[in-house]
Amino acid sequence: MMETAAVIMLAFYAIGYFVLGGADIGAGMLLPFLARGAGERRLVVAAIVPFFLTNEVWLIATAGVLIGLFPTLDGVLLGGLFPLVLSLLVGWVVRDAGVWFRGRVDGAGRGGRAWRTTCDAAVTVGSWVVAGSWAWILSGWLSGAADGVMTEPAVAAAITAVMVLFALHGLAFCGLRLDGDLCRRCARWFGGVGERRTFVLTSAVMAGLVTVAGMAALPLSGAAADQGTLEMLVPGIAVVTPVLLAGQVWAWRLFGHRIRDPRPGSREERTLSL
Amino acid sequence: MTSETLELARLQFALTAGAHFLFVALTLGLATIVACIQLRATIRPSPVHSRMVRFWGQLYVINYAMGILTGLVMELQFGLSWSGLTHFAGNVFGGALAMETLVAFFIESTFLGLWIFGWGRMNRWLHLAVIGVVTLTAYASAYWILVANGFMQNPVGAEIHGDSLVLTDVSAVLTNESSIAAFWHILGGALVTAGVLVAGVSAYHLRRRTPHTELFGRSLRIGVYTALPALFISVTSGGIQLSRLEDIQPMKAATFSDDSVRVGALEVEMAEQLGAGDYSPPGLARVAALVMLVVFALLFMLLMLNGLLAASRWMIVRARAWHWLLMAMIPLPYIAMISGWVFREVGRQPWVVYEMLTVSDAVSDVSDTAMRMSLLTFSVLFGVLIIVTLWLMARHARSDPDSVALGSTAEHSVPEDGGDADRPDRSGAVLTFVGR
Repeated sequence: MMETAAVIMLAFYAIGYFVLGGADIGAGMLLPFLARGAGERRLVVAAIVPFFLTNEVWLIATAGVLIGLFPTLDGVLLGGLFPLVLSLLVGWVVRDAGVWFRGRVDGAGRGGRAWRTTCDAAVTVGSWVVAGSWAWILSGWLSGAADGVMTEPAVAAAITAVMVLFALHGLAFCGLRLDGDLCRRCARWFGGVGERRTFVLTSAVMAGLVTVAGMAALPLSGAAADQGTLEMLVPGIAVVTPVLLAGQVWAWRLFGHRIRDPRPGSREERTLSL
Repeated sequence: MTSETLELARLQFALTAGAHFLFVALTLGLATIVACIQLRATIRPSPVHSRMVRFWGQLYVINYAMGILTGLVMELQFGLSWSGLTHFAGNVFGGALAMETLVAFFIESTFLGLWIFGWGRMNRWLHLAVIGVVTLTAYASAYWILVANGFMQNPVGAEIHGDSLVLTDVSAVLTNESSIAAFWHILGGALVTAGVLVAGVSAYHLRRRTPHTELFGRSLRIGVYTALPALFISVTSGGIQLSRLEDIQPMKAATFSDDSVRVGALEVEMAEQLGAGDYSPPGLARVAALVMLVVFALLFMLLMLNGLLAASRWMIVRARAWHWLLMAMIPLPYIAMISGWVFREVGRQPWVVYEMLTVSDAVSDVSDTAMRMSLLTFSVLFGVLIIVTLWLMARHARSDPDSVALGSTAEHSVPEDGGDADRPDRSGAVLTFVGR
């Protein structure tokens, strides 16, 4: 009973991360391809910015739930996947630094432009490294190996497929978050299904992938913490989760609107192209 | 796995945790100061107070990133490098980390986003409540981490069953004296760090006679009168910890007082009880303790002096030699914090869980090459990011408070072209954060 609850909690936070965090990672991957010029890059980063922190905490929470409810598994998983977890962390750190520091040097001159271009490059490269690391880890899990780095050639195809999924999910997220030309460019890929419906669809595929991969590989049964620990932690997590969700819902309600460029030029352009 | 892997893993953890500790110390203290100023600015709104919130808030936000990034690498290092620890003590230690991520960190980050991007988008009392939640969850985070750390220093409320620990008494773990005293000690230290920084940066502007005399005069006072009482909290809780050391970790106490006879006696005693081994901590522990005490004495005298001088308005604005002193004091709390931490952590060697698990039994079975790669990667990456962060912080600290981006959209939340006066520009705060 407690063990089942523990598995559900782990799955809940992991799925939350891949659906929410996966979206802004995918958007980061597409940054240079979606945006034409520095002005549009600014808008794509702005689509990520109010959510990247609230999205990535889902992974930190997942890691916390893992170490709390499945302490032994934490060591087995991370130890076996050492190189991939390492590259995941490096990508994550580089990406976050790019997002966080981009606007901290606000000069209009060459120095300021170079700073922002470097930060955009950090966001893009970091997002690709994070997506690639996850793709490799998930592909290994799909083939049934939880704690080793798979090097068979066949895994390459699975890795590519998972990375494409990240990119498509990011594209759906951008369709939801952006406006005007940028939004149309995203929507074109999904043939007019509608932005909300597209995002729900890519989210569902992402959630399905994580669930299947986790069930295929993770030795969850018998790996849970001691009964005494579970009896304290499981109710604790059950009580606190709705509070965490309320904060997340508030953030989406407040920042979920489309990013609009308030500069007059772009406003006219948008009216004309409509 | 060789003995070199162990040393590399220890070095990597020490560097990550040390960097994390220094950045979050400022995060913890500065969040408190910003929240208090915002409380004042909300009760009786005034331009100078709202500018203060934005200026110090922006410094807080720049500093925040390094705390998260080093923190997440540290959290995953438990699994990567120290699987022996999660295997042995996971039932207790893992629970505290889980509570930290969910109860504290998750809420802190979500609400920090709401605070940064919600400027001008919500009622000002609600916005105040948001920074209040950010501050309280930062404290909660420190508490839960110290529950984990305090357990490793003084393992109470658990028993060994087979090859791992089992939780037997939750309240003993949550009220562990090694956790509680350390919590107050660090809380005080964090406020000293932030107070001295705020006073030093204000002194820079006053010395340069920048036009914001009122803003920085008030800030200087806030910094000085935060740091002084905070130092007393830190000293009292530090003294309590030191007085209890003889019972909790006699070996650390003997190393601290450099009593080689007692160290030898304890070695024999521990070898009889726990089997043969080297149970005396490296000499670095004592060096760190001495550095901490010297810096503390210096801080004590200087903060008392500051307390007297800051009573005079004339001194605050005119005493340029004192301004120089205040600026020079900025590194002192950092040195005291890190050396106190080194004393606490090196002083309990070779144990990771005191008298239960040694660090060499806790390290993961990872190859030498992998560990070296990871140490090199993170040292370079964090080295670069720390330099960039410090540069950005120094750059912001010297900048004009009128040019602060944070919260600037709240004052004119209608687009510049005036197009939709009835629909405020909701993207403003986000676009300002992203830059041009």
